[in-house]
Amino acid sequence: MIRVCHLYPDLLNLYGDRGNIIAFQQRCRWRDLPVQVDSLNLGEKVDFQKYDFVFLGGGSDREQTLVSVDLMKRRDEFAAAIEDGLVVLAICGGFQLLGSYFMSRNGENIPCLDVLDFYTKAGERRLVGNVAIEVELNGSSFKVVGFENHSGLTFLGNNKPLGRVLSGNGNNGRDGLEGVRYKNVFGSYLHGPLLPKNVRLTDYLIGLCLERRGIKKELKPLDDSFEKRACEIMLRRMGLPGR
Amino acid sequence: MKLRLSLAILAGKLTAMVSRTYGHKGSSLPGMVARRIYPGALRDLAAQVSRGILVVSGTNGKTTTTNMIAGILSEAGYKVTSNLEGANLITGVTTSLIKDAGIGGKITCDYAVLEVDEASVPRVLKEVKPGLLILTNFFRDQLDRYWELDKITGIIREALGQQKQMNLILNADDPLVAQYQKITNFPALFYGMGPNEQSARTSSQTREGKFCPFCGNALTYEYFHYSQLGRYHCPGCDFNRPDPQVEAFDPQIEGGRASCRLVFNGQEVELAVQVQGLYNLYNAMAAFATGLQLGLDVQGVLDSLSRYQPVTGRMEVFNYKGKPAYLNLVKNPTGFNEGLASLRADRGSKDVFIAINDNDADGRDVSWLWDVDFEMLGEDHRSYNRFICCGLRGEEMAVRLKYAGVPADKVTTDENVTQAIKDTLNGSAGAAYLFSTYTALWPVQKIIKAITVEGGAAR
Repeated sequence: MIRVCHLYPDLLNLYGDRGNIIAFQQRCRWRDLPVQVDSLNLGEKVDFQKYDFVFLGGGSDREQTLVSVDLMKRRDEFAAAIEDGLVVLAICGGFQLLGSYFMSRNGENIPCLDVLDFYTKAGERRLVGNVAIEVELNGSSFKVVGFENHSGLTFLGNNKPLGRVLSGNGNNGRDGLEGVRYKNVFGSYLHGPLLPKNVRLTDYLIGLCLERRGIKKELKPLDDSFEKRACEIMLRRMGLPGR
Repeated sequence: MKLRLSLAILAGKLTAMVSRTYGHKGSSLPGMVARRIYPGALRDLAAQVSRGILVVSGTNGKTTTTNMIAGILSEAGYKVTSNLEGANLITGVTTSLIKDAGIGGKITCDYAVLEVDEASVPRVLKEVKPGLLILTNFFRDQLDRYWELDKITGIIREALGQQKQMNLILNADDPLVAQYQKITNFPALFYGMGPNEQSARTSSQTREGKFCPFCGNALTYEYFHYSQLGRYHCPGCDFNRPDPQVEAFDPQIEGGRASCRLVFNGQEVELAVQVQGLYNLYNAMAAFATGLQLGLDVQGVLDSLSRYQPVTGRMEVFNYKGKPAYLNLVKNPTGFNEGLASLRADRGSKDVFIAINDNDADGRDVSWLWDVDFEMLGEDHRSYNRFICCGLRGEEMAVRLKYAGVPADKVTTDENVTQAIKDTLNGSAGAAYLFSTYTALWPVQKIIKAITVEGGAAR
C-alpha cells in the first residue's frame, strides 16, 4: 500500500493543485497498486513516518502564512523523514516553504522550514506564463511543461535544480534553473498541474515510493497518448521540438 | 469641452459602423476611440442618465442578470441602454452610453444598466455614480490575470469606500458578497435561497471564502447550495448570512426551465425562467430584487423574467433534427460545475462537446480544469455517448476527463471544430451538450447556427 499525504488541501489549492494527487492516485490504480490518500488540514497531527509521498500545493499569501506557522511545529519530524527518503512534491508556495527564508519587499526575512538549501526573495513583477524545462532522471533526460505564476524569486544554494529552463522564467528568470531536488524531494513553480501531463515524472515518483518499500519492479506501461499529445502541443507552441 | 464630447461621440459611432461592416461585434472599440478623443466622455454622458445607473458585477451571472434587468425595465416602459453583449471593461461601458447619445452630446435613456468586470469596478466608479450596485457572487476566475480572489474583493472594498451613497443588491448566500453591506453600511436588499432537498451538509467543491472577512475565523455552515453559497455564520464575531428580503424555496430545475417559490415582504409568488440551472434562479432573484427596489410592478417583473431568452452560450438551446443541443459558456470551476450539474440532471443519453482555449480572455492558465468536478461524470459515464474535446487545449481536456474516470475510449480530440460539432450533433444520444470557453464561444455558436434550426420555438 502506497500511503499519500495531501497537506492542507483546504488552504493550498490555488492552481488546480489537487490534479497532482488525482494523477498520482490514478496511475497507481490503473496498475493495481493499492494507494491511499489522506487529506490533512490545519492543526491535524501528521505522522510523517507512516507516509511514502507527501504533497504540498500553493496558496495565497495569507493561507501560506497559516500553513507555515502550523508546519513549523512539525519541522523536525518532517526534516528527519526527508533524510529518511520520504518522497515529497511541493509546488509554488509549498516549494518556497521548504527553503531557508523568504525576504519580503521591505527586506524583512520571514523564516521558512529550512529543510532545503535555498532562499526566496520578493520580486518586482510577477512571472507568469507557460514554461518548458529539461529534466534528467536516472541518466535519461526529458522535457516537462507547465505554467508558472509567481513573484517570489528563488535562488538555490547547494541543492540541485529540478531542471533547466528551455522556455519561460523558472526560479528567478536569470540563472536558467527551475525547481529544486534533494534526495526524494522535488520542488517546482510549475503547475498546470504538473503531474497529469508529465507522466514520466509521475511514474518516477511512484517508482521511488515503491523502492522505499523495498519493491523493485518495472511499472506496467500505460497508454499515455493523450498526455503525450498535450505535452507536445505545448512544446511546439513554445517553439521547441516535441518529446 | 462640449465640442470634444460631440467629436468623441461621432468618432465612436463611426467606429461602431465601420467595425460592424467588417463583421465585428464592435462593442469595445467605439468606447476606446471616443475616450482617446475625450477622456471625460463616459463621465459626462453618465451624469445625464435621468433615472439612474445600475451596475452589475461579480464573477458569474453578470451578463444574464444585466440582460434580465434591462428586459424588466424596457418592458416596464423605460428607455434603457446597456452593454448587453458583455463587453464589460470601461471601454465597453463607454460604448453603451455612446450608442444612446445624440451627436450633440445628449443622453436620452432613463436607465443605464451596466455590466462591469470585477477588476474594472474601481475605474468605472471613478467616472460613473450608480444609484444601485448589484453583486452576484465571487469565485476564482482567471487567476493568471487576477492572481487571487482576495485581491479582487479587496479592490472592490476600496472602491466602495470612496463612494458617498448608493443602494446595494447583494447575494446573502455568498459571504464574499454579503460582507459589503457590513463594510459600507449602505442600505442593502439581500436575496438568497432557503434550505431545500438538494442542499448539502458539506461541500466537496473547491470552495472560496472559507474565512470570515472580518475576524479571520473559519466560517461554519448549516448547508451549502453550491460552492461557498449557503447558510453560514462566523463563530468568532457577529458576521452571518443576513436574512434575505427576497428568498427562494423549493427550486425545480427540469426540462429547460427553472422555477421556485419566492417569498418577499410577506408575499409569495412563483418565479420561473425558461433557462436551466440553479444559478439562473440566483440571477433571476437578483433581477427581481432590483425591480422591487425600483418600485416596479411585481407581476410585470415576473412576466418579463418568464419571457427571458438566454444570451449566447448561457444554456442557449438549439434544435437539431428534433433533438435539443445546449450551448454553455464555461470560464471558471464553479460555472463549469453548475453546467455539469445541468448535464447530469438530464437523465437521458448525451453527446458532449468541450472546447477549451487559453487566449488572454479565457485565462492563459488551464489548471482551473482540475478544480472542476469532472469526477461526477466518471461516476455515471454510462449515460454519456462520447466526449469530443476541441480548442487550443483540447488535449488537456481529454487528459482531465481520462483522469476523472471517463473511459478513454469515450474521449476523442479533434482539431477541426466544425467536424467536431457535426459529430456531436449527429451522435446517437438523445441530447447534445456543448461547453466552450469565452474565445471559442462565438465561433462555436456560429457553426451550430449554420447547421441547426434555432430551437427557441421548438420547446
